Amino acid sequence: MGRLSVENVVKRYGRVLAVDHVSFRAEPGRILGLLGPNGAGKTSTIRMITHITAPDEGRVLYEDQPVGRWSQERLGYLPEERGLYKKLTVGDQLLYLAALKGVPGDVARGRLEAWLTRFDALDWFDRKTGELSKGMQQKVQFIATLLHDPTLLILDEPFGGLDPINAELLREVIWELRDEGRCILFASHRMEQVELLCDDICLISNGRIVLNGTLRDVKRRFGTNTVIIEFDGDARFAAELQSRGSVKVISRSLHRVELRLLDGAAARDVLAYALANVNDLYRFELTEPPLSEIFVESVRAAGHGAPQSIDDGAVRP
Amino acid sequence: MHKIGIVFRSEFLRRVRSKWFVITTVLGPVLLFAMMAIPPVIGIMASGTDEQSVALVDETNVLAAPLAARSDPRLTFVPVDASAYALRAEVEAGRYDGFLVLPDGILEGGVNARYYSVEGGGFTMESRLERALNEVVIDHRLGALNVSPDVRAIMASSTGVRLLKITEEGTAADSAAASSLLGMMMGFVIYIAMIIYGAYVMHGVMEEKQSRVLEIVVSSVRPFELLMGKVLGIGAMGLLQMGVWAAFLLILTLSAGGIAAIFLDPSDFNLPEGVSGEDLAAAADIGLPQMAPELFVWFLLFFLGGYLLYSSLFAAIGSTVEHQQDAQGLMFPVTILIIIPMLFISVIVESPNSTLAIALSMIPFFSPVLMVLRIAVTEVPFWQALLAFLLLCATFVGAIWICGRIYRVGILMYGKKPTLRDLARWLRYQ
Repeated sequence: MGRLSVENVVKRYGRVLAVDHVSFRAEPGRILGLLGPNGAGKTSTIRMITHITAPDEGRVLYEDQPVGRWSQERLGYLPEERGLYKKLTVGDQLLYLAALKGVPGDVARGRLEAWLTRFDALDWFDRKTGELSKGMQQKVQFIATLLHDPTLLILDEPFGGLDPINAELLREVIWELRDEGRCILFASHRMEQVELLCDDICLISNGRIVLNGTLRDVKRRFGTNTVIIEFDGDARFAAELQSRGSVKVISRSLHRVELRLLDGAAARDVLAYALANVNDLYRFELTEPPLSEIFVESVRAAGHGAPQSIDDGAVRP
Repeated sequence: MHKIGIVFRSEFLRRVRSKWFVITTVLGPVLLFAMMAIPPVIGIMASGTDEQSVALVDETNVLAAPLAARSDPRLTFVPVDASAYALRAEVEAGRYDGFLVLPDGILEGGVNARYYSVEGGGFTMESRLERALNEVVIDHRLGALNVSPDVRAIMASSTGVRLLKITEEGTAADSAAASSLLGMMMGFVIYIAMIIYGAYVMHGVMEEKQSRVLEIVVSSVRPFELLMGKVLGIGAMGLLQMGVWAAFLLILTLSAGGIAAIFLDPSDFNLPEGVSGEDLAAAADIGLPQMAPELFVWFLLFFLGGYLLYSSLFAAIGSTVEHQQDAQGLMFPVTILIIIPMLFISVIVESPNSTLAIALSMIPFFSPVLMVLRIAVTEVPFWQALLAFLLLCATFVGAIWICGRIYRVGILMYGKKPTLRDLARWLRYQ
């Protein structure tokens, strides 16, 4: 099982430069997080990795060979916008998709039953997919991605619509797949999942790579400038600290605030101020910033403004 | 390449097992039978079992007796000595079905009788009255000229003409009306099939795109393979459906004689009693006339060619839009192309070998309907049919290539509806 290498890839749609000299690597046995605002070029890049489209410049290599039909058969792709043939039964659908990937019928059937059992879905075999709930459909789609035993996996928002129990199950399966040495790309906006799962991350904005490296390194690069406070009392002190310019409030709720220390501010000053203004303090932690904050900061620093979905009416696959 | 086979199998099985397919395949023949057989049968039955009683106002004073003496239980003439005004009341009261006024001038000719009724005469009534009247009038006028019975016998006889077509085997029975009817029916079947199955393909493509299942499938199979598998799968389903219908029609034709005999009376068609069921059915135009095997083969070939052409167009349309409404605009030109040949049907039936007919039946978009029609109605030289078919093939290969490229890009594009210029650009996308 080899590595995936995206090398200086460029893709244009008409006059729009969707992917601008993007390079990164995904190693086997590791999970790479693909992050980026909507319309940043993630999907365009993924489409080139999956050989649905071809790059205008640069190349995509898997196991040191350019991707092609052969890599499609080794690749399991779970797209973000996904659906199922509503009129087909679960069994028929999965067998059809497996056949398209070149898996012989009996092998597919065996694997299908194993996965359905694992996901506690064996009695769905004969039900039409249109009748399943959203969470059940997600599980079926995930199984479809795995039936041909892919060595390269691209999972785009696999957790959408799953309750915590099923999300846990999915995470376990993804870890297993990683430990078996497969190469996994995980694209998501849910930062808490990314932090839990990913070994490496790669942030794309406006078609360019803005961050690249292991999760630990990236976080460390941003320093330990985040303060988490859990308390009883009035959270107003956070707004006051912000108006003084010492901190920026990242998130705020009844009993918890996350603050980013701005230049020059000292953590102990923040602690002192909080102690003076709340009834009781349960937690004070100086830590690395959450990934969501890194995301926002990096995109802004790269000069692309606050991330927003690009909606100028243009059609971009 | 064999992935086309996998897609084909899945598409075909999925459609054939659907409720839509089962219902239309079973209902289709039932509807067809109803459309073809029941209206004429009912029409004939309705007027046939009626017993009409017509009051006669005879100003000639000679015709009433022979008319009243006729022994036709379904049309009785009752001479009355009353004014037209009084008879109106009688008819309105229902005592007579109508009254017939025979003006004096009838005997010299050139003057018409007048029939008054409340319900209106209808075709059968008109022809029956005319027949009865002509019988007695001619008889009287001949008698007035002292014409001998031999001459009268000559006048009463009629000589028919049997139509025979010159074919390669020699001669075969020709029935102009029947073969044009057959030709029109086949043209109509092809027309309907193109529209229905074409729209079916389009909906299939749109459903795949809307449900986003395409995103999963397209990393496993080339879009072109997906398109061909789908088109062929639905085509096979269509053939199966039409095969079932054809079998049903065949059974119907073979038993047309029996059905006709149950419902119809030979005398309605100027046929003697005791005529066979088949002849009766033929006279009533129920059931299919004989179909030459080559006609069937060409029908199949042109159906396939036309289907492949139109379904790839419809698939391309379906791939560019996300909603039914957006598709309407693009569907319009394609539907027009299918409809145009229908407008020329009567022209072709009238003179199937005219230059216009030949030219029209060669045009690839029209040939599925028009060439088949011509082959049914007349002897078309083999080279003409072959040329038309080859042109059709070349066109659908070209269409599949172009539409394949549009499909390939369209299925992954969401958002703004593409203009024609966008489509031209897509042709060049890698």
